[in-house]
Amino acid sequence: MIDFGQSKDFLSSLSQVSHLNFQIWDADEGMVFSSGPDELPEPAPEELQDFSLRIISSAAFQHIPLESGEGLFGVPLRNGQAVAGSLIAFGSNSLQKSLPETSTAPQPGRAEEMERFLNQVAEFVEDRLTIQQEMEQMAEELTENFEQLCFYSKIASRVKSIRFSGSMLQELVEELLDTMRTDIAFAKLPKRPEYNALVCTQKVPEKISDHDDFIDALIDSIPLNSPSLEEDYFIVNDSRTTPGFSDLAPEPYRFLAVKMKHNGNFYGWMGLVSFNFEEIFRRSELRLLDSMAEQIAVVITNSDLYRDLERFVINMVKSLVFAIEAKDDYTRGHSERVCKYSLLMAERLGFDEERKKILQWSSILHDSGKIGIPESILNKPWRLKDEEYQIIKNHPMKGHTILEPLEQLASSLPGMLHHHERFDGTGYPQGLKGKKIPLEARIIAVADTFDAITSSRAYRPAKAPEEALEEIEKVAGTQLDPDLVQVFKEVFTRDLAPELGCSPEKQS
Amino acid sequence: MENNKRVLVIDDEAHIRRVIELKFKNQGYHVITATNGEEGLDLIKSQQPDVVITDIMMPKLDGRALCERANELKEERPFLTIVMTCRISPTEKDWISQLQDTVFVEKPFSLQTILKCVDHYFGNQE
Repeated sequence: MIDFGQSKDFLSSLSQVSHLNFQIWDADEGMVFSSGPDELPEPAPEELQDFSLRIISSAAFQHIPLESGEGLFGVPLRNGQAVAGSLIAFGSNSLQKSLPETSTAPQPGRAEEMERFLNQVAEFVEDRLTIQQEMEQMAEELTENFEQLCFYSKIASRVKSIRFSGSMLQELVEELLDTMRTDIAFAKLPKRPEYNALVCTQKVPEKISDHDDFIDALIDSIPLNSPSLEEDYFIVNDSRTTPGFSDLAPEPYRFLAVKMKHNGNFYGWMGLVSFNFEEIFRRSELRLLDSMAEQIAVVITNSDLYRDLERFVINMVKSLVFAIEAKDDYTRGHSERVCKYSLLMAERLGFDEERKKILQWSSILHDSGKIGIPESILNKPWRLKDEEYQIIKNHPMKGHTILEPLEQLASSLPGMLHHHERFDGTGYPQGLKGKKIPLEARIIAVADTFDAITSSRAYRPAKAPEEALEEIEKVAGTQLDPDLVQVFKEVFTRDLAPELGCSPEKQS
Repeated sequence: MENNKRVLVIDDEAHIRRVIELKFKNQGYHVITATNGEEGLDLIKSQQPDVVITDIMMPKLDGRALCERANELKEERPFLTIVMTCRISPTEKDWISQLQDTVFVEKPFSLQTILKCVDHYFGNQE
């Protein structure tokens, strides 16, 4: 229904200062406004309704003379091109009584005057209506743009993170669904299915049982020679008229997808599906989707670069550690195994990624101080002299001194420095006791001890893993943290036993 | 700054007509408007505008048909046509590039861009 409400006050005032009553009739709703008294002796409501219909159907000025007063006058009210109602005016009876007799008599030329006057009033009412409608439309447009702007700023702040995660994509796709008012929003990365994200509304037809399959089928159907692919997007404005897309769903749909691509690296498709044909995919939405996909591709690229770099650094360090271990025939691979056992324990203890990383560095580097120990001492097949043992005992401190300048490793140094502390406080270098020993160091101590027992040494052969576990349990509470020994035991049973049990190389 | 250039805006959406009209009026252009392609074509013939800014999806006569008819008229009297649309159709740029003095603008548009485009066109003429 059309709201002529804005002009009601104006017509009421006009009625008060003139001897006219005004009414607005809506073509569908009937009378929507009356300036006059609620109860009119004349004209009757039915009469007015007929009169309004006459105006609307003729779309022109109408006039009916009445016995009392001047009669009924009316003009059509338009909404755009179409007649949407009528504006009716008639003499106000109450006022008439107070007026001199002469003025109530019908006057020649009165109808023409009234026609001109009412047309002007109608134009005024129509203009206000048009302005009102335009304003509402603009406000709606503005709201939509604002939504998109908000959405964009959200993405912008989110993609600042260097690390990419699957949940990040899931959240973005959820917001995409809300902002774009579609039925399915998705992101598909063929080579990284763990990042795939898909959300849909209730409007998706039930017959589409597997949404993932449906989206995969859509992506597979994108013709490779489509000209829009040069601009990295593909659109189906109507599946019924697009070859290759009409049979993919039981109901007609619209489909828009953009490539997630950066620097020539293609990661996958991001897109929308809608079953609502009252809307279309707009260029603004394409642009938004496109820049979002691009941003995501940038984050993935950066994330890959970061990971490559990180992997390069850790491999580099491993190489250096191998170089140190190469001096000692008996400890080859020791640091990497200690690292592995430590990380398995960290997993069991529920460490977050950050803390795991710290532990990874401490454990891989825990023996780096051995670089300063002469090979003659390291490889000595018999018991060490006291002063030689003092040199060996110095290795955690030495490692600490060597690595101290690397500020990125700062948080990993305590784990390394204290890995030879004993739980009872008789270890080195500082004789820390119990929980005062950093947790990372206590973990490494367990892993280190286990690997030392299961590896052969210059002065003794390797022992079987089960035996090593027994030995570790014997020193729980004295040398090692008993809680962590328990954790290691669980890790051993679950992860290591199957692997170590059939691995004879440890025996050699 | 008054100028005697005439701009015709054809769009069935009132708010679009309004914002373009305001912008160009403020720049001293004379602006006329039409709400569909048919009305637009009549105004091109009767009012001889120097610039036509038109939507594609419109009742009665759509933007493409309008542009093609306008293109015939351009043989006698050249004028600039700016076609705008919010619909995504990969083929639009193709047919637009075939027409004389016709440029494509995405909706929503930057009014500044449209204005520059028009100023540029007149700049080249003078």
